[in-house]
Amino acid sequence: MNYEIIDCIDAGTQFCPCHLAESNECILCSQLQGKSFCDCKNWRGTCIYQEFNWNNNIATSERESSEGLIISKEIIYQDLIKLVIKTNHHLCKELVNAGSYVFLRCPESSPYFDVPISIMDCDIQKDTISMIIEIEGIKTKKVNELNEKDTIMIKGPFWNGVFGLKNIQRCTNKNVLLIARGIGQAPIVPVLKQLYKQNTIWLVIDKGRYEDVIIKEYINKYPCNIVELKTIEEGKLTQDLSSLIDDYIEDNFIEHVHCSGPDILIQELITKVNNRTATSCCNNAKVCCGQGVCGACTTRFEGHVVKRLCKLQTDPEYIFEGRRQI
Amino acid sequence: MKVVIIGGGWSGLAAAITAKKAGADVEIYEKTDMLLGLGNIGGIMRNNGRYTAAEELIALGAGDLINLTDSVTKHKNIYFPGHHHAWLYDVNKIEPVVKEYVEDLGIKIFLKQRVIDVKKEGDTIVGIILYDGQFITGDAFIETTGSTGPMGNCLRYGNGCSMCVLRCPAFGPRVSISARAGVPDLQGEREEGVCGAFSGSCKIGKETLSKEICKELDEKGVVIIKIPKEDINLEKLKQKVCQQYALKEFAENIILLDTGHAKLMTSYYPLDKLRNIEGMENAKYIDPYAGGKGNSIRYLSMAPRENNMKVDGIKNLFCGGEKSGLFVGHTEAISTGSLAGHNSVRWYLGMPLLTLPKSTAVGDLISYEGNMTNTLEGKRKRYTFAGSEYFVRMKEKKLYSTDTEEINNRVKKLNLQNIFGEAII
Repeated sequence: MNYEIIDCIDAGTQFCPCHLAESNECILCSQLQGKSFCDCKNWRGTCIYQEFNWNNNIATSERESSEGLIISKEIIYQDLIKLVIKTNHHLCKELVNAGSYVFLRCPESSPYFDVPISIMDCDIQKDTISMIIEIEGIKTKKVNELNEKDTIMIKGPFWNGVFGLKNIQRCTNKNVLLIARGIGQAPIVPVLKQLYKQNTIWLVIDKGRYEDVIIKEYINKYPCNIVELKTIEEGKLTQDLSSLIDDYIEDNFIEHVHCSGPDILIQELITKVNNRTATSCCNNAKVCCGQGVCGACTTRFEGHVVKRLCKLQTDPEYIFEGRRQI
Repeated sequence: MKVVIIGGGWSGLAAAITAKKAGADVEIYEKTDMLLGLGNIGGIMRNNGRYTAAEELIALGAGDLINLTDSVTKHKNIYFPGHHHAWLYDVNKIEPVVKEYVEDLGIKIFLKQRVIDVKKEGDTIVGIILYDGQFITGDAFIETTGSTGPMGNCLRYGNGCSMCVLRCPAFGPRVSISARAGVPDLQGEREEGVCGAFSGSCKIGKETLSKEICKELDEKGVVIIKIPKEDINLEKLKQKVCQQYALKEFAENIILLDTGHAKLMTSYYPLDKLRNIEGMENAKYIDPYAGGKGNSIRYLSMAPRENNMKVDGIKNLFCGGEKSGLFVGHTEAISTGSLAGHNSVRWYLGMPLLTLPKSTAVGDLISYEGNMTNTLEGKRKRYTFAGSEYFVRMKEKKLYSTDTEEINNRVKKLNLQNIFGEAII
């Protein structure tokens, strides 16, 4: 039976309780949703109501921007750059897990220019973070104006870049299929890094609109079985990927499928996998504040359910099932 | 036929035993790593009318758990203010004994399995959902999750989490299953408009008390020490769950009972003040760990029910223990649980459900609580064989007796002898 177990990515962290608790909109706590009694279905190991009470009924402080230094900028293609940024240890060590991301911005830009970028790699000895950025719109173009030795503003840490994190955490001694397309290759690196030692990994790479694989350095560093193919065509899974999934689930006893690509690919993939394995995927929601306030990521579902995808942790199928347009 | 029980306290275990004896396959889902719940810090049996109820349960064929508490009893027939012939079992010995007994009966126990929701088809529950999304099916369900906590409730309606034996922060909060099934919970009140009540006792480590106190506890089972006048707080009695212990003597004296630890018969007592009392200079709380600050809050989550323990509005959900009303105590939990377990099997077989007659103490308590809990005044009372309003009624109705033969005859006359012991499948 399908049953959605939800979580809040920030619950139990230094960023909980947040502004949602102040306005009776907490994702998890019934008492902080305006109800009179506990109904704690989705327990995270800490009583948010108690934390809120001990914090004098106000939210904990928000994430702040700090200065980082661009120590390398590589122009991979005309619209694709790789940045390595020196940050502080406190922030860097919070960005090691899959799903971590930060907001980047030029120091002279207003906070409206904050653009969420997934962490590709994180070196906690040197306190550097590496990321690949597609230069697409107003925010990323502004970031692209910066060069090596320039200061860049980093706001973080944020962690909800991947849905189904608990399924990833459960992967030990498993056969795991990772699928990445285009820019999705970058955020799959921390997933690969987290899983390759204790699991057998097959990594399907679809280069998307780029000529070549953009994470070669990492697939050499974290050995896995690589399959290069086209994943999607005219909104449908390609025959290649479709039969690969069937074959791999049957022949290679794949127990987990992770996808880092566009929503249309993830959605098709979930239908294809059809609960035969556990799943996880990247979070493609438009994220502007990352803290549940701005509303950019809120998504409507049947039954008047609103999900704040910047904070809500759930399994991939529940991101698409019963989704409504407004 | 499969009966699924949610909550492995006294009531859940009693339900499991009678359902098993009636012929069902039985599974218990308990959120912590131990059975018995609050039974791990209780210990008082057979005081006042509980003696009658205990003997009645034995006569009805549901004496298994009574026999087990009797077997680890430390002190028999002790007196403390307002309470006669109390038996005190050793709370540090009871749990493994009960667990082994229940397992030997072939009842399956699943520990550290917090139940968070149900799936219904119409008015029937088809299964429960565990914390990790696992789906467990069953034919009949019995909710014995109690009404205590969790932390958020203890904070809103009490002094915050006092780290009691239920260990919500470690094993997760209790979820009201009947409320999840769409039946709103009822609440008890301690005074007008104030929901819930504090648990009524704490445990002090005996080794932290003076040699003299320990000696007296070991020999007599009870120690009574006068509280300094300036520290007497009669107001606190109002907050208490256990109205049978909300007597003036309990406010003016420190009453300690030997249940393995020293059971301090008050909801909470500031540690610095406690340590002012002779012989308690080094006292340390064992349960709740923050007994100097508060205690768990109870009676916030009761299901409306019939006198046969079926929850109103759901075809195959039964309840027992504090979940089923403003009951206090182990004997009361065992009584209600036993009936719920037995009736869950009757329901499955399409048999008429059993309602115990008012000429039995157990039947009368269940029906009296059922009537009273719907009244404004009744919501502020608790119902126990051991004292307060109901014990007065028991005596008035001549239900109170310590004569085992008389109690047996009473049950025999009603043709109910060993009714919970017989297989019906």
